Amino acid sequence: MSLTADRLDRIQPSLTIAISTVARKLIADGKNVISLSQGEPDFDTPRNIKDAAIRALEAGDTKYTDVSGTPALRRAVAAKFKRDSGIDYKPEEIIISTGAKQVLFNAMLATLNAGDEVIIPSPCWVSYPDIVTLADGKPVFVPCPQNNGFKLRAEDLEAAITPKTRWFMLNNPCNPTGAAYSAEDLKPICEVLMRHPHVWVLTDDIYDKLAYGGFKPGTIVAVEPRLKDRTLTVHGVSKSYAMTGWRIGFAGGPVALIKAMDKLQSQSTSNPNSIAQAAAVEALNGQQDTVEAMRKVFEERRDLVVSMLNQAAGMNCSKPDGAFYVYPSIHGCIGKTSKGGKPIIDDEAFVLALLDEEGVATVHGAAFCFPGYIRISYANATEELREACTRIQRFCEGLH
Amino acid sequence: MPGFSQRLGRVEVAASVAMTIKARELRAAGKPVITLTTGEPNFASPPHAIEAAHQAALAGDTKYPPQDGTPAFKKAIQAKFKRDSGIDYALDEICVGNGGKQCLFNAIMVTVDPGDEVVIPVPSWIAYAQMTQLCEGVPVLVNCPQNNGFRPRPEDIDAAITPKTKWLILNSPNNPTGAVMTADDLKAIAAVMREHPHVWILCDDMYEHLIFGGYDHVTMAQVAPDLKDRILTVSGVSKTYAMTGWRIGFAGGPKALIKAMVNMQGQATAGISTVGMAAAVAALNGPQDGAREQSVAYKRRRDIAVAMLNAAPGISCHSPEGAFYVFPNVAGCLGKTTAGGRKLNTDEDVCLALLEEQYVATVHGAAYHMSPYLRISTATADDDLVEGLRRIQTFCEGLH
Repeated sequence: MSLTADRLDRIQPSLTIAISTVARKLIADGKNVISLSQGEPDFDTPRNIKDAAIRALEAGDTKYTDVSGTPALRRAVAAKFKRDSGIDYKPEEIIISTGAKQVLFNAMLATLNAGDEVIIPSPCWVSYPDIVTLADGKPVFVPCPQNNGFKLRAEDLEAAITPKTRWFMLNNPCNPTGAAYSAEDLKPICEVLMRHPHVWVLTDDIYDKLAYGGFKPGTIVAVEPRLKDRTLTVHGVSKSYAMTGWRIGFAGGPVALIKAMDKLQSQSTSNPNSIAQAAAVEALNGQQDTVEAMRKVFEERRDLVVSMLNQAAGMNCSKPDGAFYVYPSIHGCIGKTSKGGKPIIDDEAFVLALLDEEGVATVHGAAFCFPGYIRISYANATEELREACTRIQRFCEGLH
Repeated sequence: MPGFSQRLGRVEVAASVAMTIKARELRAAGKPVITLTTGEPNFASPPHAIEAAHQAALAGDTKYPPQDGTPAFKKAIQAKFKRDSGIDYALDEICVGNGGKQCLFNAIMVTVDPGDEVVIPVPSWIAYAQMTQLCEGVPVLVNCPQNNGFRPRPEDIDAAITPKTKWLILNSPNNPTGAVMTADDLKAIAAVMREHPHVWILCDDMYEHLIFGGYDHVTMAQVAPDLKDRILTVSGVSKTYAMTGWRIGFAGGPKALIKAMVNMQGQATAGISTVGMAAAVAALNGPQDGAREQSVAYKRRRDIAVAMLNAAPGISCHSPEGAFYVFPNVAGCLGKTTAGGRKLNTDEDVCLALLEEQYVATVHGAAYHMSPYLRISTATADDDLVEGLRRIQTFCEGLH
């Protein structure tokens, strides 16, 4: 008898974290590495938020809270959904978790039986299919090609729905492409979903404060309120407030689903960190100026990176509307050989050669279920980004 | 509404949580409720831990942490295992979780296949059986009666093991009984386990520092180093340092198991709060007098509780060696009627009547797989505890 469970064989360590680890090691060995692989803002958590955490520490907020979060944070989340999206969630329709990741994990464990299908537009965050698989479900990918701005077409969604479909998951704006959907973009998708009442809808809006050029991402429930009783609206403080390490995510959804998720969370981790919850209350209720300041910086960086990458031989980079990633095609580089003599047989070979020869860490598209591309995070200092893009240009010029 | 998973039907909300919520509702309605249900210390987290969290927040220690814990925290855990139990764990034999609960959850998730059995001496914390069922495993309960001090007997464990057994879970000091296993107890169980090399051994040592009067905490990896490659030793800062709300647990075990657990956690929540880890490092490395002082208080309260409960007609209370619970037998109350006219047929009836008539919240033994008992937490200020116990006496005196 094997000592480990079969479900363990179905999960793999996150490939994005694997590359960060290699890069960290090269740095520790004294190599000059610029990491464009991380999925977190390079900014520090704003001071007002830290101060709130410190006040909570001093007030002794160090006891168990309700499993689904403190009443204060659930109220703050309800106000946030109302303010930003015009959606009314009652506090009992809200759950706080250890990162938005745990929200997804709870939701999938609460709803998937073996063989149930989950529709995931790809490219996608690698954790979506992994969590689905872990919960005995089956990811069904719907490719969203670059020539459609990496966005899902309603007819492709319709074609993917079967009687076994349990969930449709949308990430708006999207990691890794930065593709974002306006309210108008979401209308045809909502129309399809209205025709299939057996399907739960998950919208992961964690990047929605990071949109550029006047673009405003929509969200499913605001576009089609009749989907509210089967939609889970997922969000968190990590990306908007540079709070990745605090591990606070949350969701609004129908009471029955939230209750089911609460039950699972009570058996796996209980409440999220009490101090981090206090910090998140301030993030949501306090001043929002730093969000806009960070957004502006990201927008400048996006413009810089897109323009520099499109000058690299063999690359083709679309200009996305949101998040802090770009997802250039490297199809023009595949089949060539690097200056250092490495055959670039695929996107992974490209990423490894780039890291080794130029000290730039990125992530290959296969890690997002969509090969032939690389993901570049521009959550990095502008000068670093300029240097990294110069190195990428040099690397591409050296291909032959 | 779309459906839920079958696994959801296999888990329930913990009875202690349900009782705490009921008590809170009564209090909100203006009743003078005394809550003896909670599993958390009524002390404050140590000032040096709070200061460390404070400094970590100010220093910008707010980014995604390594999923297996920060190097500083892992080193502190390594030193703790060595200092307290003389166990040597390499850094890659240590992982961290959002509470000891998540360490257990990860361990069960990566090892238990449908139909696998987990041997659980009872009374026990309900989460062990719940997590097992969540993974489609089968909890096999081994009775540890009061006349043996609620300690597991090696022959009973031997008899419970089958070829399908995946784990034996030991919890000393025990929640809910406070029973402590001696080195001899563990050695006798180790002898049994040597005959069953296909079984993992989990030692949940969460209450290890709360032991009274001449007893010392011992753990399996310490008394049976030859079994170390299949033992997982779990502990945390919640109970020892009054840091429940921070949600910080950790585990030491064989590298392959630890790696699988980290991998699992990567899909569920990723790392744990950075600020919380900084506080935990200070708690583990700092002065340890707080835990000793708390033990003195818990011993005093245990003595008060045991004496007062044994003075209540119909109750017989064993005096435990550790933790902050007592687990009185209420068999003498069953079949009787309360002053308020309620007929008592089960320990749950006792528990509910006690709450409704005397406003004292406890948890019934059935929630810990052994009836007819109550679990009473002594993690309550002395005055409240004494008042609560007085009301229990009044309640028992009113039975007829």
